[in-house]
Amino acid sequence: MSSSGLAAVRHRGLSDRAQEGLAGYLMSLPALLTLTTFILVPIVASLVLVFMDYPLLTPPVWAGLGNLRHLFLDKRLWLCYWNTLYLTTSIMILNNVVGLLLAMGVNRTMPRLIRYFLRSSLFFPVLTTTSSLALVWSFLLTKDRGVVNWLIGQVGLAPVPWLSRLPWARYSVILFDLWRGCGFSMVLYLAGLQGIPEGLYEAAKIDGANRWQLTRHITLPLITPTLFFCAVMGSIASFQMFDGPFVMTGGGPGDTTRTISMYIYEIAFQRFQMGYASAIAVLLLVFLLILTVIQFRLADRWVHYE
Amino acid sequence: MSGASDLQFLVTRKFSARGPWFYVGECLIWLLLFSIAAFELLPICWLFSTSLRAAKDTYRLPPDFLPTAWHWSNYLAVLTSTKVNFVLFFFNSLKLALIAVGAQLLTCSLAAYAFSRLRFPGRDFIFLLFLASMMIPGQVTVIPRFVIIRTFGLIDTHWALILPGLTSAFGVFMLRQHFLSLPSELADAAKVDGAGFFRTYWQIMLPLVGPGLSTLGVFTFLASWNSFFEPMLFLRDWNLYTLPFGLVMLAGLHEEGSQPQILAGVMMSILPLLVVFLLAQSFVIKGVTVTGLKR
Repeated sequence: MSSSGLAAVRHRGLSDRAQEGLAGYLMSLPALLTLTTFILVPIVASLVLVFMDYPLLTPPVWAGLGNLRHLFLDKRLWLCYWNTLYLTTSIMILNNVVGLLLAMGVNRTMPRLIRYFLRSSLFFPVLTTTSSLALVWSFLLTKDRGVVNWLIGQVGLAPVPWLSRLPWARYSVILFDLWRGCGFSMVLYLAGLQGIPEGLYEAAKIDGANRWQLTRHITLPLITPTLFFCAVMGSIASFQMFDGPFVMTGGGPGDTTRTISMYIYEIAFQRFQMGYASAIAVLLLVFLLILTVIQFRLADRWVHYE
Repeated sequence: MSGASDLQFLVTRKFSARGPWFYVGECLIWLLLFSIAAFELLPICWLFSTSLRAAKDTYRLPPDFLPTAWHWSNYLAVLTSTKVNFVLFFFNSLKLALIAVGAQLLTCSLAAYAFSRLRFPGRDFIFLLFLASMMIPGQVTVIPRFVIIRTFGLIDTHWALILPGLTSAFGVFMLRQHFLSLPSELADAAKVDGAGFFRTYWQIMLPLVGPGLSTLGVFTFLASWNSFFEPMLFLRDWNLYTLPFGLVMLAGLHEEGSQPQILAGVMMSILPLLVVFLLAQSFVIKGVTVTGLKR
């Protein structure tokens, strides 16, 4: 669309408005086409598949509310929900506490090189491939001759079955996610901390506040917006956990570290029950929507924007 | 809590404010910072050191956190092995990541420019569709997406990975913010000079959102390079495997003495990420904090 081409169009009588409209549609077309094909159509299709039986090799068959009934009776699904809730809550709490502490620590005056080193070493794991590092951690956590058990042995404790027994299997998943994710929270909290006006601290110090009081009455209330953001985004992301537990425990002893995403994968792509799997996925969507609404409602009580 | 105000703090107090508890607190804080930094780095140090061990020494304790052996032959073996095909996985991953970056930079910037600078009926509604799609968990779309790709006969090809990744709602959203922050006088001036919409986009607006493009590029590269689920889902032919999935498959083969080789493979797969990180650290961290979205 060179200017001469448009000049030709102009002569043909298309108004400026129409040209702008045409340009707008053409420019957004590639993105819109991809979005429609691979996201919008699948969303609608998923909602439809909830009411179908679709074993993939034969065409879908209407199944009414059969899948929904199955949802309520499926004990494995409820175990997966329990696992995912347990893992997500633990990870959210640990991640945010550690992330905030790290951010408060890194935010102080220190030589630039040390800050660079700390920030880099704490943030780099966030960028690494989850599945590959989960592989490394599964090596570290093997029961016999694993590095972590060797370290524990040095202190005189017995080796721990990190990946093969409860409750250790769940702790392993949480530990890995904490290792990988606390740098991410740290960076977000750092940005939040830097938004707190310096003057507030100085005024409080003149009034004689000590470090603990500064933290409790200034830092914590003013970091609640960041906390809220991390809570909402983090819980949505954590709830869809797949790569880590899949590679490390494969679902854990029995089904005990199987997340909802892993269950959907198994039902859809190993059992080929597309209809039921869609029902599980849509239920997850509804669950996350409700969770987010609850979080937003509760936010009015504890988030201070001022 | 700058150093200057600490000094002021000291001076304005009439009596000694730095009791012993202050120093205890300081020690604890530095201890916390460095021990967590060590905790983050140690697995990677172990990874590097063990990948350099001789195959027969793989499981020998005590473990190395710093290299004690220097068997670069492990790396060579991984690169030249006919069974492992690491180089192929690496280039598959690289090819897909670069295609994703190029495609997304183009499609997202075009759409973002249209949404921010052009008026056309339905514009805001369509943009809302993009926004809303970001809220949908991937699990909801993956099953029909599999069916769609299967219908087109694209299972077990790289197209299955390329086509869905041609655009991203996140990219459109972020670049639109960047375009909106550019002064509108620029567009007016360009129009006065006779530039068409596309020319304005290509020659004037796009160069000005460079930082946004860099951030999107880095995030897209990382997301593509690190993806595990989609390759596992869509690929069957060994020769098409990408690195993360390929490495997990290799580890599942449980061959004798292959652990250092797998670790060497992991190490080499992390290397591009390290390079990207060191070169683009400011972009990545700024991008993460400004948009707060994980890729």
